[in-house]
Amino acid sequence: MERQLFFSGNEAIAHGAVRAGARFACGYPGTPSTEIIEATAGLEGIHSEWCVNEKVALETAVGASLAGVRTIVTMKHVGLNVAADPFMTLSLTGVNAGLVVITADDPGMHSSQNEQDNRNFAKFAKVPMLEPSDSQEAYDFVAEAFKLSEEFDTPVLLRTTTRISHGRGQVLPRVPVEVEPREYARDISKYVMVPQYARQRNRVVLERLEKLRRRAEESPLNVLEAGTSDLGIIASGVAYAYAREAFPKAWFLKLGMSHPLPYAKVARLYEHVSRVAVVEELDPFFEEQVRALGLPVIGKAAIPADGELDQELVFRALEPYVQRKPPRRRRPVMPPPPRLATPPKPAAGLPVRPPVLCPGCSHRSVYAALRKRRLAPMGDIGCYTLGALPPLLSLDSCLCMGASIGMMAGFNKALGRKAAVGVIGDSTFFHSGITPLVDAFYNEVEGMVVVLDNRTTAMTGHQGHPGTGLHPDRSQSPTIDIQKVCEGIGVRCVTVDATDHKALDAAIKDEAKAPGLGVIVALAPCVLVTREVAGEVVVDEERCSLCGVCVDLGCPALAPGDDAVSVLGTCTGCGLCVEVCKRGALSLACAGDET
Amino acid sequence: MNGTTTVSLVGVGGQGILLGAAILAETAAAAGLEVKASEVKGMAQRGGSVLSTVRFGKHVWSPVAPRADVVIATELLEGIRGLGLLGPKGTLVCAFTTRITPGSVLRREEGYPDDVSGAAARRGVRLLTVDAEGVAREAGTVRAVNVALLGAASTVLPFGEEQWRRGLEAAIPAKILEVNLRAFELGRAAVASQEVES
Repeated sequence: MERQLFFSGNEAIAHGAVRAGARFACGYPGTPSTEIIEATAGLEGIHSEWCVNEKVALETAVGASLAGVRTIVTMKHVGLNVAADPFMTLSLTGVNAGLVVITADDPGMHSSQNEQDNRNFAKFAKVPMLEPSDSQEAYDFVAEAFKLSEEFDTPVLLRTTTRISHGRGQVLPRVPVEVEPREYARDISKYVMVPQYARQRNRVVLERLEKLRRRAEESPLNVLEAGTSDLGIIASGVAYAYAREAFPKAWFLKLGMSHPLPYAKVARLYEHVSRVAVVEELDPFFEEQVRALGLPVIGKAAIPADGELDQELVFRALEPYVQRKPPRRRRPVMPPPPRLATPPKPAAGLPVRPPVLCPGCSHRSVYAALRKRRLAPMGDIGCYTLGALPPLLSLDSCLCMGASIGMMAGFNKALGRKAAVGVIGDSTFFHSGITPLVDAFYNEVEGMVVVLDNRTTAMTGHQGHPGTGLHPDRSQSPTIDIQKVCEGIGVRCVTVDATDHKALDAAIKDEAKAPGLGVIVALAPCVLVTREVAGEVVVDEERCSLCGVCVDLGCPALAPGDDAVSVLGTCTGCGLCVEVCKRGALSLACAGDET
Repeated sequence: MNGTTTVSLVGVGGQGILLGAAILAETAAAAGLEVKASEVKGMAQRGGSVLSTVRFGKHVWSPVAPRADVVIATELLEGIRGLGLLGPKGTLVCAFTTRITPGSVLRREEGYPDDVSGAAARRGVRLLTVDAEGVAREAGTVRAVNVALLGAASTVLPFGEEQWRRGLEAAIPAKILEVNLRAFELGRAAVASQEVES
């Protein structure tokens, strides 16, 4: 027999992750989660890094998962608040290689500012949750979590509490799981969460939750343990251990996969006993769901809703109830799976009118340059997200505000090369793009970031931001220079006039080849603000072969005609189509030119 | 529904849908009715469809409704799309000379539908088509397409001349009020002459 190891829950998670084939681990330190990354850092075959915060850590982990390697990301309970933005939408996109989010809660607030119960996050994000109750389970459940993650295409929440993370116990090592890296396949409608795609993914999530509930019913992680007394106890995590000691003769429903709740297994417990208690620390998370089945249960009226439990406390709390006359038996009322709305059918034969990048928008120029290079553009949120839609199809991901840089970092780290580029707007850069840039510099990421600086928060209607210094009343403050911010961090940065297509293309070409991390600020004020018309594009109908290269830029001012493309009156004369035309069929007549 | 009238204004960003809705809301308020309105305008400046709904009656509960009694369309394709909002006794008031071509049509992936009469007939609703662009230009500015259509729609909405005037005055800046009042009158007249012809 293999030698047993004596591990804390956190060490067990680290070893369990490596055994399960995880190749990437990141997080932000926070008690009681910290020792997981400290442990993976000492192990072979897994890359470990500290990120600047939990949000960046999760975005980095998503990048690594997309690149195809199994990944864990660790944080304490309040850390998931910081990472909540990517976490909530990650539920919609799902994963490529398995992704396990580890949250370590701190009942009793040994070293925390609050006592929030992160089981609620599993329900909130509609993702499966596993809760180990000792070190062996902490070790084993990581592999189970990865299996669920890949089978159901979802992040999995692995939740511990202080006593699980810091408690120690014997762990029997298991045979390592053989995992092949998963090839990354671009899938815009899965990874770019613009409204039309997110609506489809939301239905996938709701259907997935019901499939996961069926899995929870069958899962050996949820065990109905026979007892000899007339008391049944529903519990998970360390509360299960306390209750087992307090009531050794009771029946137990031990929940290892504790979300979604297996209703039928709960009902089966009631077939064996006449009184049931839920023993859980903090919120009445299981209790409320059991009550919703119409079943009587002893819960937070007896078990404290704050602080940690222990076996004596559990015994004293439940003992009086055990002495009382049991409640009348009730039949459970199984909630039917929720109905999904009927998606509105687009009227047959009517062209849709999706929003598009404006004629002359400088973002188009960035995408034209990026398309030429084999880089996966990790996107962000703003007008430039429209670059993901046909015919441009120039963004691979859009998860949440500020996610582009962290996802680029994780993706490139996992593949060991400059495979992805981060694309972020100026306002989004100030919103949450600076911290991941600090992170990418600190973690020595090979990568490129393009800041699409149109000098405004364009998508929402041209609000000010620190880069413009404008306030809601249009008063003016000193401005912050993005290039100086980057250089202050220590990142190489150039600012390029984004209306100069050749210069922009050259800068992107150079940066793609350069080692290390670099930022290109592609600067051009929003055309909706400037209303500048540089000229008009003229078509040489003899030369135009209708090859479609210019039309593929998705400019609303260009349309293929019968013999040649035609230029509409909305053309601003930005000249990008002139640049991409291989036959010299387009030329720019500048405003004021005599023609 | 329940004595509440629902009017939906549809078009493309930049066509003055929101101002049109504001005028209608002020008019209904001038008639002493309760008014509720809502709009989807997030993509208005990026060439997306815009939908604004105005509901009025003795007492209005919801600011939105899935069906409209009257749809006012400032663009032909959006008008045909707006037919889907109309109930059986509904009316579409549609600008038939204004076409804003979506990208997929520009790229010739799809065709631009133009048979609004056929589509309205298949749906069994009443159709009032207006050369709103021509009317607006005649009034003095092509930007008054929205108000010209309101003038046309006034022939099927339960408000008097004075109430419309108060609505227009309340919602439109003073310096462009005159031209808009003209566009409103010409739009109304355009429908009246259409009725005589048919």
